[in-house]
Amino acid sequence: MSSNSDFTNFSRQSSKGIIVIYFGSLYKALKISWIFLFIFIRKFSQLTSDKLLYIFFAIIALLIFLLFRAYFIYKNFQFKIEGGYFILQRGVLKKTNTTIPFDRIQNINFKQNLIQQLINVYQVSIETAGSKKVEIAIKALSYKDAQALKNQLTQSIGFKNESLTEDLIKKKPLLTISFKELLKVSVTENHLQSLLLLAALVFSFFQQIEDILDGFGKKEILSNYIANEFNSLLHNILILTFLGIVLLILAMISSFVRVLLFHFNLTVFVKERSLEINQGLLTKKSIILKKEKVQSITVSTNPIKKIIGISFITFRQAVSGKVSQKKDKLIRIVGCKFDQIYQIKELLFDCKSVEKSELYKPNSYYKIIMYIRSFIGLFLLNSIVYLVFQDSYVLWLNTLFVPLILLLIRAKFNKAFYKFDKELLLIGNGRIETDLTYLSFFKVQNVKMRQTIFQERKKVIDLVLQTASGKVRIPCLELERAVKLYNYILFKTETSTKPWM
Amino acid sequence: MSSFENVLIENLPDISKISFKKIHKDYLKALLIYAFIMIMAFFVGAFFLIKYKLKEVIPEHVNYIYLGIFVFFTIFIWYLVVSFSKRKYAVREKDISYKRGVIIKTLTTIPFSRIQHVELDEAPILRIFKLASISVFTAGDSSDDLVLKGIKKDEALQIKEFISSKINE
Repeated sequence: MSSNSDFTNFSRQSSKGIIVIYFGSLYKALKISWIFLFIFIRKFSQLTSDKLLYIFFAIIALLIFLLFRAYFIYKNFQFKIEGGYFILQRGVLKKTNTTIPFDRIQNINFKQNLIQQLINVYQVSIETAGSKKVEIAIKALSYKDAQALKNQLTQSIGFKNESLTEDLIKKKPLLTISFKELLKVSVTENHLQSLLLLAALVFSFFQQIEDILDGFGKKEILSNYIANEFNSLLHNILILTFLGIVLLILAMISSFVRVLLFHFNLTVFVKERSLEINQGLLTKKSIILKKEKVQSITVSTNPIKKIIGISFITFRQAVSGKVSQKKDKLIRIVGCKFDQIYQIKELLFDCKSVEKSELYKPNSYYKIIMYIRSFIGLFLLNSIVYLVFQDSYVLWLNTLFVPLILLLIRAKFNKAFYKFDKELLLIGNGRIETDLTYLSFFKVQNVKMRQTIFQERKKVIDLVLQTASGKVRIPCLELERAVKLYNYILFKTETSTKPWM
Repeated sequence: MSSFENVLIENLPDISKISFKKIHKDYLKALLIYAFIMIMAFFVGAFFLIKYKLKEVIPEHVNYIYLGIFVFFTIFIWYLVVSFSKRKYAVREKDISYKRGVIIKTLTTIPFSRIQHVELDEAPILRIFKLASISVFTAGDSSDDLVLKGIKKDEALQIKEFISSKINE
């Protein structure tokens, strides 16, 4: 489009945008109707050629309609920059006019999905701060235009113009994760979590089928089928072990796919006041993480990762308004070596002194209450299981569960600690994983002390620190120390003049 | 490290030493009126349900049901009164604090410099007693922010004005 990259007049995105919009809507249509398509294909042979012809015409009509729609969406999507405002006009039937002042723009990110990668255009998303989240996505711009737009938007706000093209060539990335390293990362992932995610995916898939079958009055068939299969399975240990192995393999594969999809070709560049993170296989993302926007970071590792010498960092950014923890706000860098972690930490905080300062453990009451809680839970679970199965044989599973729970509680207590210096709080927790969370005191939004009547007797208390990106908890401190810390955090936030965001 | 401990002990204003103000007694009256209306509505519903349905099915248990309802509401009212007496607040030069809870006690403090906005609202019955509630919002997950219920409207307005002036500083 406007190859001179001048945005003072209304301009459209690259004409390739039609393709992007077209495939986007095609994908959406497929997502809604795939199950009907599936049924259609299965009944293909039963249809008469007359009907078939109609259906084909309908599909072709739909495809043409979508093409026209894409064209009109493209035609009506115009934007310009004028007097410190970004102005966007869009909408075919319902026209919308959006005006964003530059100082409300928080972030400008580039993204490329599969189609956009194929035709070599970039999606530019403009994130704004406000009570309601407004996000604008310009779907197709050439790299040059995207850069130019970004520069013009950022220049006038006053934050440093970070021209990608020059910096990328000059600077060596802090971190590049090769395919081989990514493989290592995925093998050492938390497979249980991957499996749960997979299960959730399969479950929603299954429900979608069930909904459709329900419409046909065939729901019974499916649930009967599954119930029968399940009953015969339950008493066959051989099949159960087999199932276990299959699940394990599935979990590993799904971890691998997940890691590959999100973190493929991960590169991290360090700049003066920000990190630039590029990653993704099907959808490439380029994120600029500004130092001020990071509320807290967590460095995590697990026993296997520790042996290989890698860990991952999670950055938490401020979320605006009532938007729940959006995934975009949690940015993860996987497969960091220890010295790379050190560099990233150094960029954000001065964390040497906090790591050397005195280590405090939670009161032993923390351990006791965890034991009590899990045994009440276990007791309830046992009673329910016993009532349902009417078979004391099942209770033997406890010989497996009890030691496991004891071990997990022990690990959790051993890993729980907190350290602090004048500026920073460092909290350790985790069961199998080890998480170290770093938080600057002045980023705290509000402080809370929480005490049950049992804790009151033991003179311990929980401290909950609310940040713009979620809560950070220090469990079971001695009352006296908690009050001191409480006072100090308030002192820090109330006297700080640095912007927390 | 040691110098830091000194800072903590000597110079800092101590949250555990400030005097908290109780919520105005009229708020308890308002709460009890609310509870009374709710209980009456429930009783009327239960009465008709028992008279026309349950009495034929389980006549011998009817009295126990009434007793159960009575005990439940007695505990409810008792809890209301006790939890009311635990609610306290304090406004300092730079922050606002709120204490509450019977079984789980919490104390929340929000520095004025982190407040996004303040809201003042008056519920129907509270208006009779000239009471209002102040909600204070910070950034992030705002579900856990601070709500002061049952403050005299004049004082509430003052607090709101005070906070607003502090935010804009």
